[in-house]
Amino acid sequence: MSLGHHHAGLPPGHLRPPDDLHDARSINGYSRFLSGSRTPQMRASADADGSHAGGLISDADIAGDEDPRIPIFRELYKRSEAQINALFANQQSAEDARRDAVADSDEPQANTQRADEPALPPAPPKKPARKLDDDDDYDEYDDDDDDDEEDAAPPPKPKSLGPSQAASSFPSPSRPFGGSVSVLPDAPKEVKKETLEDIRKKLEEDKRATEEAARRSFHTLFYTLENDRDAMLDQQRLEESERQVEAEMSGQANAGNNANPNSNGYGSLSNANLGASSLTLKNLIARIDMKRTMVQASDAELRSLMSEVRKNRSKWASEDKIGQEELYEAAEKVLSELKAMTEHSSAFLTRVNKRDAPDYYTIIKHPMDLGTMTKKLKALQYKSKQEFVDDINLIWSNCFKYNTNPEHFLRKHALYMKKETEKLVPLIPEIIIRDRVEVEAEERRLQMAELDGAEESDDEPIMSSRGRKAPGKSSSKKGTAPVRNTPSGSEPPGGQAPQPPGPVRSDSDAALEGTQNGFATPPPGTLTPSDPLGVGAGLPGSQGDAMEIDGLITSSTALSALPASGVEFEDPEYKVWKQVTKKDRAVIAAERHRLFKGDKLNSEEPALLRTKAGMRRWLRNQQQSSAEGDKTRELAAQGPSTASATLAEGIEVDEDRVIPDYYDVMSGVPDLPAQLFWKEDSDGNIVDASEDFLRILPKGSFTQPDSKLARKMDANMRQMQETRKVCSKVGIVKQMQLQSQMYQNQFQKYQPEPFVEQDVPAHVMNDGGPVIAPWVCRAALQRSVAKVFYHTGFEEYQPSALEAVTDVASDFFQKIGETLKSYMEIPKVPATETAAEATTAPQWKRAYTEPEIVLHTLASVGIDVEGLESYIKDDVERLGTKLSTVHDRLRSLLSELLRPALADGGEDGSNAFHDGSEQFVGGDFAEDIDEDFFGFKELGLDREFGLATLSVPLHLLQNRMYNAAQAQNTSAAQTVTLFAPPASYPRITSETLPSQIGLVQGFFSSKLQTSNNEPLVEDLELPPKQRPMAARPRLPASGKIPPPSAPSGPTTSPQKRTLPPSASGQPAGKPGTEPSKKKLKKNSGVALGADGEDAAANPDSTKAANPADAKTAAADESSTADASIKPEGDQSAGQAGAAGDSSAAAGTSKNNDSATALPNGTADEAS
Amino acid sequence: MFKDRLTESLRQMMFVSGETAEPSVDTTTLIEEIVRQQVVEILARSTALATRRGVRSISTDDLIFLIRHDKAKVSRLKTFLSWKDVRKNVKDSDDKGGADAADFAGADDPMAGGVVAGPQDVASKPKNKRARVGLAWDVNSFYSVQVPERDDEEDEEEEEQNYATLQRLAAADERTKHMTKEEYVFWSECRQASFTYRKSKRFREWAGFGIVTESKPNDDIVDILGFLTFEIVQTLTEEALKVKEREDREKNRRGGENGESSKKRKRETGLFDPPEEGRTPVEPRHIREAYRKLQATPNKNIAMLLHNGRLPARMPLRLVSLPVSILSGNILTVQI
Repeated sequence: MSLGHHHAGLPPGHLRPPDDLHDARSINGYSRFLSGSRTPQMRASADADGSHAGGLISDADIAGDEDPRIPIFRELYKRSEAQINALFANQQSAEDARRDAVADSDEPQANTQRADEPALPPAPPKKPARKLDDDDDYDEYDDDDDDDEEDAAPPPKPKSLGPSQAASSFPSPSRPFGGSVSVLPDAPKEVKKETLEDIRKKLEEDKRATEEAARRSFHTLFYTLENDRDAMLDQQRLEESERQVEAEMSGQANAGNNANPNSNGYGSLSNANLGASSLTLKNLIARIDMKRTMVQASDAELRSLMSEVRKNRSKWASEDKIGQEELYEAAEKVLSELKAMTEHSSAFLTRVNKRDAPDYYTIIKHPMDLGTMTKKLKALQYKSKQEFVDDINLIWSNCFKYNTNPEHFLRKHALYMKKETEKLVPLIPEIIIRDRVEVEAEERRLQMAELDGAEESDDEPIMSSRGRKAPGKSSSKKGTAPVRNTPSGSEPPGGQAPQPPGPVRSDSDAALEGTQNGFATPPPGTLTPSDPLGVGAGLPGSQGDAMEIDGLITSSTALSALPASGVEFEDPEYKVWKQVTKKDRAVIAAERHRLFKGDKLNSEEPALLRTKAGMRRWLRNQQQSSAEGDKTRELAAQGPSTASATLAEGIEVDEDRVIPDYYDVMSGVPDLPAQLFWKEDSDGNIVDASEDFLRILPKGSFTQPDSKLARKMDANMRQMQETRKVCSKVGIVKQMQLQSQMYQNQFQKYQPEPFVEQDVPAHVMNDGGPVIAPWVCRAALQRSVAKVFYHTGFEEYQPSALEAVTDVASDFFQKIGETLKSYMEIPKVPATETAAEATTAPQWKRAYTEPEIVLHTLASVGIDVEGLESYIKDDVERLGTKLSTVHDRLRSLLSELLRPALADGGEDGSNAFHDGSEQFVGGDFAEDIDEDFFGFKELGLDREFGLATLSVPLHLLQNRMYNAAQAQNTSAAQTVTLFAPPASYPRITSETLPSQIGLVQGFFSSKLQTSNNEPLVEDLELPPKQRPMAARPRLPASGKIPPPSAPSGPTTSPQKRTLPPSASGQPAGKPGTEPSKKKLKKNSGVALGADGEDAAANPDSTKAANPADAKTAAADESSTADASIKPEGDQSAGQAGAAGDSSAAAGTSKNNDSATALPNGTADEAS
Repeated sequence: MFKDRLTESLRQMMFVSGETAEPSVDTTTLIEEIVRQQVVEILARSTALATRRGVRSISTDDLIFLIRHDKAKVSRLKTFLSWKDVRKNVKDSDDKGGADAADFAGADDPMAGGVVAGPQDVASKPKNKRARVGLAWDVNSFYSVQVPERDDEEDEEEEEQNYATLQRLAAADERTKHMTKEEYVFWSECRQASFTYRKSKRFREWAGFGIVTESKPNDDIVDILGFLTFEIVQTLTEEALKVKEREDREKNRRGGENGESSKKRKRETGLFDPPEEGRTPVEPRHIREAYRKLQATPNKNIAMLLHNGRLPARMPLRLVSLPVSILSGNILTVQI
């Protein structure tokens, strides 16, 4: 009965392909189904016609005639009916949700009316059932069928039944009954399925829910990556063990796999072992088969195409073993799930090593581990769920057995794993693998029996036979495979398909099932009281038992499947996260790990590339998270985004990892600032947003901001520069006083450049922040430091010193900044301490006000306000006043020094232009009165000669400066003498000669004679260099002291300098006039030359001034000459003045000599 | 011998500084050791400075540089040096002016009490112009040219700097107001106490000249050291007295309820009142506490000395001087 139920619940489409596939075997009576199975496809392709539409039902009817088990089924049905009714009372609510109103009304009808309702269409119950079971995976295919059936099947049924009946030659009464039967089996099957389904669904949903919760938490929580490595290592261990198993099993597995396809002839495509996909692709395959002639491709090609198209083909599929695929799919999944809990499972992955635990195998007689189980699984050693479960439990019990200490950590793991196992085991269908041969033999037996039995129940046999045939023909082609392979997918649609076999077979050994299923479930007998059926004979009891057990399991799993497993003390959310993401994290960590070889990047690894899909996924997640942030958790938000995705996405493999975005660093898409968006105005022109965000660095970011202090410091520095200028002038003047000769370029003019703070050049930035350019900032700081240096009085600095102080300063300011920051970041405190608890919206304020922050900071770096204030008062303001007084003093000093050159014009300057006025000569007044006195500027002379100023260059004043200084010095010397020097002795002339004592009279007279009776000059009156003593013996260039030369010559001096007349007059008795005159001439020539040189050297001093200059120069010379006493000058003093005026060449030349020889002021005295 | 005289001098200095009772030998020994340590430190540092300048012997500038932040002291030193210069000039130039010489003898040891001879003395002798002592870090040294002196402008800064001196003089005046003649004579004797006056050689031995620095220092340097030692003793004593006063107050307060009244009374009596019966001398622990206080590192230095958040293992010895805050506070009040 249950057999029939299950298959009846399946949509016909599900069963068709197996039929087709099995067509080739042509097991008796089954070949008929081939045509029938094709009809729906025909219908789908060509427009549905009535005869074909009825094919479905007719199939059922036809199958009925040869079913020998009808009586059995009928009996079974009767027994179970009451049970079903009772169940439906409960089931109703569940089914209400999914069934439409029509179906709702139909069901009770079916229950009450049973077999005597001929009009009851069999389709409606089928449809809801299908609806219930259908799932997204099959929707595409089934929908066509359903629709077709819906509009086509019911109406033509009566019509179509006729022919079908006729063809099958079965009596008509069987039909209505069959209809009812077909309905009724549905119900218990559904119930059964439902319960099992529920467990699965619940588990899956729970799983999905936790996954979903974890996914959601991605947006709100950031999980560190610290566990990734562990996850990776665990995963590696797992993989290692699997590889091991794989290696050991490879031989057998290959053999097993190969055996399967070989058994098939490849006559038609549908015969090809395309695995589960043949279910989903049945229409396609059928169609291809139909039009095989029109298809150009070869079988092999088609097969490869098909195998490409189909996914999720189970490797467990076996032709010969019924139920193997389902069982092993589930078992493998459970096993891998268990293994995947690497946190706890790692200890159980491999065999216990004898080295680790020497006594293990003495205690544990039957060792077991997950790896071994995998091996066994792959070796297809499990024949039933029970064996598998036993093995699993063996592992845990072994652990408990060996590790007797209740505190042992492995026990904890084992406990956890056991719990997990309990959760997972229900997922495994209750299947006992049987050989196809055996099953088929049985089926045949049953069929035979049925055939022998009542004929009315022809529907049931059909169902059962189909149902049995389906696994029998090709158990591998069942729709289970895809379902199992997509665990994360929605509820396995075909989950029901594998399910049925279990219960079906469990009929025979119900007791086994009971123990298999039950986790300490009471035996069936004890359950009966609670059984709604009440009266339960063996068979119903067993069935009810199964259901009951399932129900129990449902509740228990529902509880245990909850994410909160209290075993661990960890944060449940985090735990969930760890579990859900473990595998993916491990994979990612491994990928990451692979990129490195040692500590270096591994260049052999393929480059990391962005993928469109990844980026799109990333964006989608972002959207989702933002949507969740807005508390609008609408999945619709996901819809448009996926819809907006182009086809390109589909091309790339879009594996869905349960992992937060930040693991996928490659796919991150930065937020585009609004300003960068591509905007168009109404005309379609692009709006250039650059103005909105590009900005020019404002001026003055790197200059000292204007402030009172800054201005004061700048003023001080300028003052210093000015003062330094004065200083340099003073220095020059002083030097001029000492030096008798000056060159134009001897003194560089001190011309300091004014300080200008350079700002950085125009700089464009694209955000609002400050410029972060450490080197520029450092340069600015360095400049400030230099400024302070200059302000302190340093004029120049060594770069290293500047660097060092800059470092100190930056360190200091960094400390200030850090302290300020830490003060500013102190958490806020309630504004009012008293009302802190009372106020609903507490006012928060900063812990410190800004002045407080500043004061605290200053205190912590050891500065107080007083110190700053006194610095400004003493070192800035007072320094300013000091500097200005110093400047004044220096200026006055300079003017004092320059006075002899400048102040000759008298107080009011009235006698500036008197004859021989110095002011006139110097021309300095022009600067003083600040006007273009001579009109040089007008004439453009300054430009013509490139003159900086029109005043007389300083070095031209040198003469006067020097003279003045000398005069000052001598006068100073005079003032020092306490007593006035005695009057000098009158000069010895021929007149005064007699007044001398007699002893020297002869000497003097001879002297006078040599000097032509001119008055004799005292040695002291001579300038120091012309004194006879001044001539010191000097070493010639040869370095050897020359032998004393002729006494007549100027023995004392090797130099060419002319001897003064008196000296030259020393050698007595010489006809000195001639030679002396000659010498004088020569001398004067030299002197003139020097003068001329001087004049030539200063042509800039104005040619226009030349006449005047020359004149005054002449006057000057004449006056000095006047004053001087010359050997030759005895002509007359008066004549000297005239000579100066007349500027007679000879006279001047002679006098010139004296001008150079006697620059001293003593000449005045002499006159 | 020198030791005795030193102790005597110390007592006199302490008396001038406000200690009315007779301090014990322990106290004076302690002070002496502190002073010696300070002197050695001063000498060592100024020698280092001189070496950095490339000179073997220390100059007055080196000494003054060490105390450059103590403006009052610097100004008094400058005054002292300039007057010493004047005195030397006068002695050199005219020995005839016995009367003038006597005048200056009156200001014989300006450092002893910070006595600043009246400018009227100089006014009577315009010839002997007081040369100002220039310091290397003055504004005048900014320039390459010697800045000429000018008489007309009086340095306001100097007046300011003299403030502390004047304060001290005023306090001394207040103290001597009610003295009898004998007392005053004793007082003025005490004021002349010096470590160096007429015992330069011993002082040099005591201070370790020749070990720390060259053995034959300039006369000026010894004089400056004499001044500085006086200052050190004075500062120490004053600080110690403050400590003692606080301690006494605390003791009285704890003594009983009558402590309140006695404290008040004591506060009224003031520091410079004539010795009372209950007056006890300053004890070594007071001196130690005062010294500790004076050795405290000011915040400014702490901030600059912090290297990676920790203090250096050993802080350099600090020269005893009045806390900066007091000095600057005085200046500020003057300015206001």
